[in-house]
Amino acid sequence: MKNVLLFTVLFFQFGLSYAQRVHVNGRVTDEDGFALPGATVQIKGTPTTSVTDHNGLFRMYAEPEQLLEIRFMGFLPHTLQAPADEKLVEIILREDATMLNEVVVTGALGIKRAAREMGASAQVIENENLNQGKPVNPILGLSSKVAGLRINMYDSKVDPDVQVILRGTRSLQRTSGIDGRNPNAPIYVVDGVPIPNISRLNPNDIESITVLKGANAAALYGSEGVNGALMITTKTGKKGAGTVRVSNTTMFSQVYMLPEAQTQYGQGMNGIYSPTTFESWGPAFDGSMRDFGAPLPDGTQPQLRFAAPERDNRLGLFQTGVNTQNDISFSGGDDNSTYFMSAQHVHQQGIIPEDVNNRLGLRFNGTRRFGKLHTSYNVNYINNKNDVTPDGPWIGAYRYPANFDFDMVKEWQNPNAPGNPNNYFIPNGSWLRNPYFLIDNIRNVSEEQILNFKVDFNYQLSEKVNVIYRLGHYTSNTNGRNTVNKFQAEGTRNTNGSVNDFTNHYSRWNGDLILQYRENFGDFSLQALAGQNFRTDYRKDHNLAANNLLYSDIFNQSSRVGELAGGSSIMEQRALAVYGEAVFGYKDYLYLNLTGRNDWVSVLSPQNRSYFYPGVSTSFIASDAWSLLKHSSQISYTKFYASWNQTGNVTLNPYQLNNPYSQNNGFPFGNSIGFLPGLANPNPNIMPEFVTSYEAGLNVGLFKHRVYLDATYVFSDADGQISNANVSRATGYNSMLVNAGRMTSEVLGFSIQGDVIRTLNSRWNLGANYTHTKNIVRELYGDAQFRQNFRQSYAIVGEAFPSLWLSDYERDPQGRVVVDADSGDPIVATDNALLGTLVPPHMIGINSLVEYKGFSFGLQFDWRMGGWFYSETVPPMYEHGTHPETARYGREPFIWPNSVVATEGGGFVENDYLLTSGGGKEFWSRQGAVQSNTAARGDFFKLRELNIAYALPSSLLGRQKAIKEASIAFVANNLFIITHSSNKIGDPEYLYNNTDGYYSFRQVPPMRNFGFNVNLQF
Amino acid sequence: MKRYISFIYLLFTLASCEGFLDVNENPNAPIASNLPLSAKLSGALVSTSNQETLQINQIGGFWGGYWGTNNDGTNLFFDLKTYNGPSLRSQREGIPVWENGFNNILFFRLIQEEAELSSNHFYVGTSKVMQGWLFLRLVDFYGNIPFDEAGQGNEKLQPRYEDGQVVYQKAINLITSGIADLKQAGPVPATNGDVMFNGNVDSWIKFANTVKLRALLRQSELGNEAYIQEQLALISQEGSGFIQHHAQVNPGYLNTAGKMNPFWETYYRDVQGNATANYQNLRPTEFLISQMQDRNDPRLSRLYQAIDGEYKGVVFGNSDAGNPKYDRVNTSAFLGAVENGGPTGLFRSFNQPSIVMSSFESFFLQAEAAQRGWIGGSASDLYNQAIQESFQLLTVPAMEATAYLSQQEVALERAEDPIRRIIEQKWLALNSISSIEAWNDYRRLGWPEFPATAASGVVGRPNRLMYPETERGTNLEQVLAQGNDMINEKIWWSR
Repeated sequence: MKNVLLFTVLFFQFGLSYAQRVHVNGRVTDEDGFALPGATVQIKGTPTTSVTDHNGLFRMYAEPEQLLEIRFMGFLPHTLQAPADEKLVEIILREDATMLNEVVVTGALGIKRAAREMGASAQVIENENLNQGKPVNPILGLSSKVAGLRINMYDSKVDPDVQVILRGTRSLQRTSGIDGRNPNAPIYVVDGVPIPNISRLNPNDIESITVLKGANAAALYGSEGVNGALMITTKTGKKGAGTVRVSNTTMFSQVYMLPEAQTQYGQGMNGIYSPTTFESWGPAFDGSMRDFGAPLPDGTQPQLRFAAPERDNRLGLFQTGVNTQNDISFSGGDDNSTYFMSAQHVHQQGIIPEDVNNRLGLRFNGTRRFGKLHTSYNVNYINNKNDVTPDGPWIGAYRYPANFDFDMVKEWQNPNAPGNPNNYFIPNGSWLRNPYFLIDNIRNVSEEQILNFKVDFNYQLSEKVNVIYRLGHYTSNTNGRNTVNKFQAEGTRNTNGSVNDFTNHYSRWNGDLILQYRENFGDFSLQALAGQNFRTDYRKDHNLAANNLLYSDIFNQSSRVGELAGGSSIMEQRALAVYGEAVFGYKDYLYLNLTGRNDWVSVLSPQNRSYFYPGVSTSFIASDAWSLLKHSSQISYTKFYASWNQTGNVTLNPYQLNNPYSQNNGFPFGNSIGFLPGLANPNPNIMPEFVTSYEAGLNVGLFKHRVYLDATYVFSDADGQISNANVSRATGYNSMLVNAGRMTSEVLGFSIQGDVIRTLNSRWNLGANYTHTKNIVRELYGDAQFRQNFRQSYAIVGEAFPSLWLSDYERDPQGRVVVDADSGDPIVATDNALLGTLVPPHMIGINSLVEYKGFSFGLQFDWRMGGWFYSETVPPMYEHGTHPETARYGREPFIWPNSVVATEGGGFVENDYLLTSGGGKEFWSRQGAVQSNTAARGDFFKLRELNIAYALPSSLLGRQKAIKEASIAFVANNLFIITHSSNKIGDPEYLYNNTDGYYSFRQVPPMRNFGFNVNLQF
Repeated sequence: MKRYISFIYLLFTLASCEGFLDVNENPNAPIASNLPLSAKLSGALVSTSNQETLQINQIGGFWGGYWGTNNDGTNLFFDLKTYNGPSLRSQREGIPVWENGFNNILFFRLIQEEAELSSNHFYVGTSKVMQGWLFLRLVDFYGNIPFDEAGQGNEKLQPRYEDGQVVYQKAINLITSGIADLKQAGPVPATNGDVMFNGNVDSWIKFANTVKLRALLRQSELGNEAYIQEQLALISQEGSGFIQHHAQVNPGYLNTAGKMNPFWETYYRDVQGNATANYQNLRPTEFLISQMQDRNDPRLSRLYQAIDGEYKGVVFGNSDAGNPKYDRVNTSAFLGAVENGGPTGLFRSFNQPSIVMSSFESFFLQAEAAQRGWIGGSASDLYNQAIQESFQLLTVPAMEATAYLSQQEVALERAEDPIRRIIEQKWLALNSISSIEAWNDYRRLGWPEFPATAASGVVGRPNRLMYPETERGTNLEQVLAQGNDMINEKIWWSR
């Protein structure tokens, strides 16, 4: 009703203005006289608009004296008074210099830079784009949006880990430094201060993220910036009346894409039914009712229908996850100060029952100017509480028979329930216990509190010189308790009670003193800075545990048998640096940038701990320098850039120069001590490693800035890598710290972004980015040709890193499997087979945003091709008879498909008669151990984000004063995924333990999320 | 401008506060120079005895004809039961005999190097003897292995493999040289870290001689009599003879998780007295039970629990899994202190010592050597003593031993093939204690004829372990140079 009223009022207003109108005829061109089609002309203060045609012409009614506003993307808006007659008005729009030429990015040290000066590539992701999918973890909001940036989620647990790799893998090391970061991850810098982790930042606090790609962009950050930087700028208040924003996002999660399982055979062994085995080596399902497990204490015998239900029974384990985010923020400011305050609460309820994560984030950002001194200060407090069951329930679920009924065992407390550990159908311990028993009795609870603040003083010494001092602190305290509730039962049915209380403390201080200087000499300009940095990192962990508690539900170390367990560890690391930069400019279109930095780090021995590294880059704005381009109607902006740079890097932890001895194997036994050395051979002569990078690129703006293109090529060479080389165990050691190994990588990045449709009311923005990564291991330690990275993931000289290298069948030259002439069984080759890279070399992100009036429809697709992945869920499925392959041949001996037999002459003949030695557990377990059966192509195409939003038009909000803006949205993530036909396992994006393409047996299958978001601004 | 130059100068002076960076001393753990040799010897001995009594003894348990699994354990020890060589060598599921063996060699080698610098002959000698032991073990498992270039850290990153027979000779020489060092050792301090012989040099020398005797007997079927006689002469020249009691390690086991006797804690009971999964699922083979019953062996009732008065075994390889006959409750579990109300059989107490080499193994070795005419003494006396020692360990009264020994099927004098009888009795005695020697004797002599795995589709028997995946990943050239790397490939001393 209200709407109708409003409409009526509007209609009458129109009606009134109709009376004195005239026809306005106009033509809109740019400064060079080219027509601008699609420019909008609006009568100021009214909804009346018109759009220019392909000749730049428009015609509309207006009252004389009314103001016409002409707008066109990439140009400054132009206002003129409506003429009294219908004579053609020539309107010339001036290009908006700030549109692209003056795009400002957050450069190293948090210093704002004009994009044109930068000799390296950078991409800015604004808040709206970042939050399109309403991620809880801001890093996930970057997925597939930035060329060269690869984001992988670990799995579908609440608060999952995320791996971030910028421009490919460069280091052989798996973790580095005191904060245990991935040595291939970019440095995270929040408001100018490097912090170890941003995954718990409130994404709504983020104004923008500038991705500085590669070492060139982050030269001044030194070592940690070797892979580039994610420069996060949090929001600040704006001058003017205060704004209050409130929003709620509620999302639902559902599991999908479980690994494919057979549904033909039920529990038992050797084809004989057994009610007390979980393995699916029994007879074929026949739909009869059969005993399930042993009789219960009250004499009843549980039964189950011996048939696989239509709906995958394993889905019974999962629930619908719910995730709610509630946000409120206040901001405002006056002439001298601004403020921004926010609070966010996130509640995540997992797809595994009882998994919960709660996060509270509070932020206060302020600025204040005192004459020449400009100060800013940010404080962020995060509290994250996590209460989950560790890996157990799912690990059992895909080993269970296809007719298993999860509902039947939900109740485990009742001594007469089939779910009670004393009665459970399988007596085995470990992961094979009742999943609901595991969920209720094995809990990991932890609370992390993060405090992050910075203060920033910027003093203008003179017009040309200012000095900045910035001090940042980050501290994280995790306080946790892992418990296993005691359940006394016979043999393997028994569960020992345990408790482990732990705290992990981590803190960092980071200080920068920076002197900046600017000068212009005619056509030349100079911007120089010199700075000094100090950094201290401190970590203290301790735990106190009892592994044999006496009573259930009493989780205290003093109620135990045996000795108290636990320990502590302290680590400290310090670094100092001085750095400098000089940017020389000529006529605002040619820039030369020189950088240098010297680091001193505590983790190296004193003679090696100082190292210097330089960089040089240049940019050239051809569209300003060359008149041909300057006056082109198609090309509006062209920038070429190139850079060379070297970055020193130290990926050591503290105390790695000497071999620590420790007490193992039960020592100390009372007064009896026994120490053993570490098995990583230390090396006190470790030097910093150096990465040399070359980059060249091109930025182009086309059709009056309607389309942007960006192309870059990067070559980097990481030599003398600090790595833990695997050495022959016959040396006595398992690994050795070395400066060895060289890896080169070439990255080709290409992105295009533009408006396909652009009118006043509607816009369709379409973009795509493509990254091709080719990294090659050039050298490893000594003559080593390969090095194990993690399990089947290897570094192999001449190949991409990491590559999948695994056991396979012996094959003839045509790739057919060779079977043994006696047994008929496929022969396992003595040598491993190299399948290929575990990192997709081709990555494509596609985004589309359609806006029509208040509606917007955003899509983000993620497409990755060319990599392999390996899943540890497969071998147990073979072993326990749940894998579809084990049911394919009726559990009988069969002719291995497409196989051959070796002939005496060294040839091969097709095998059409030799049957395998068996078709049961022994046979299939052996096949499960052949690792090539466990690999699949990792290609996928997924709809990562979907956002359909409607912003209520101001006309609807017009009458009331409280609400200034309101919008609602439907949001979804991972709504669908298309994977390679060889992949019947799961989402290839998931990974385990920082290992690309590696899927652990413990990873929870993928989930899709969907929900809604409501946003109000007061 | 001067102002700014001095500012830059200030930046550099701030950076050069070198003391600020001196925080790289590890506050959490000592390094080699902080620790006495005694603290290192105890660590290395326990690490080695754990490898012996858990990992190596387990392989022997299955491959030496002693152990199988009941229906509940069908999927346990699957690689061992199906002789799955590639799986056993894999880093993920495999058994790292090679890796742990060379780690242990390194531990002793570091002790040796440090002790040589300070001329501490006791530690030089003991660490040489133990390295010899470990090298011999690794040859027995793999065949050709590195010796000269082994355990040298970054000096030799890709150690060269040597012929197994050469390594055997070098290991024996290393032990001989260790004996020489031990003979030079003065009084050993009370805090010596020697958790095996508590600083008793004489025991160490006897133990060393026995290890050498074992290594020589291993070569009995090769016909290099001259070498054997030469080595036997060295042993007799030395004069200390062979060990008469158990070489066993006890660091002071406690009734705490992770600090109990590892064999007890792995195969019997945890700290709360709950039966372990291995206890639930491991069972003697039917062959073992029948062999003991054929000889009226009184040890049977000390080792295993009767089911309705009968002893019930399983088939190694679970060919008939699912048959209720082989259910957990229908097969004989180990008998120990808990069921029997006092020290019994293999499980006498949570703090029983870990046997590295039993007295009865020493006596059986001597009996075989005497029977072959390699050493003096009565083979029959040594054989009887070995059996008596075995009875004593398993808490069978001495009287029962006398009756046992007098039987036609047991008495050595009444044996058609005395060596075979010695080996068969040795097999019965080493059950679950040094099980690996049963597999070694089988590979050497083919006795006793315990059945191979009954798992379907598995042919032949294992003769060695394949070189591990870790070695293929770091030292492939050497691996490939050794030729056929299959699990059924015979090693140099095999029959």
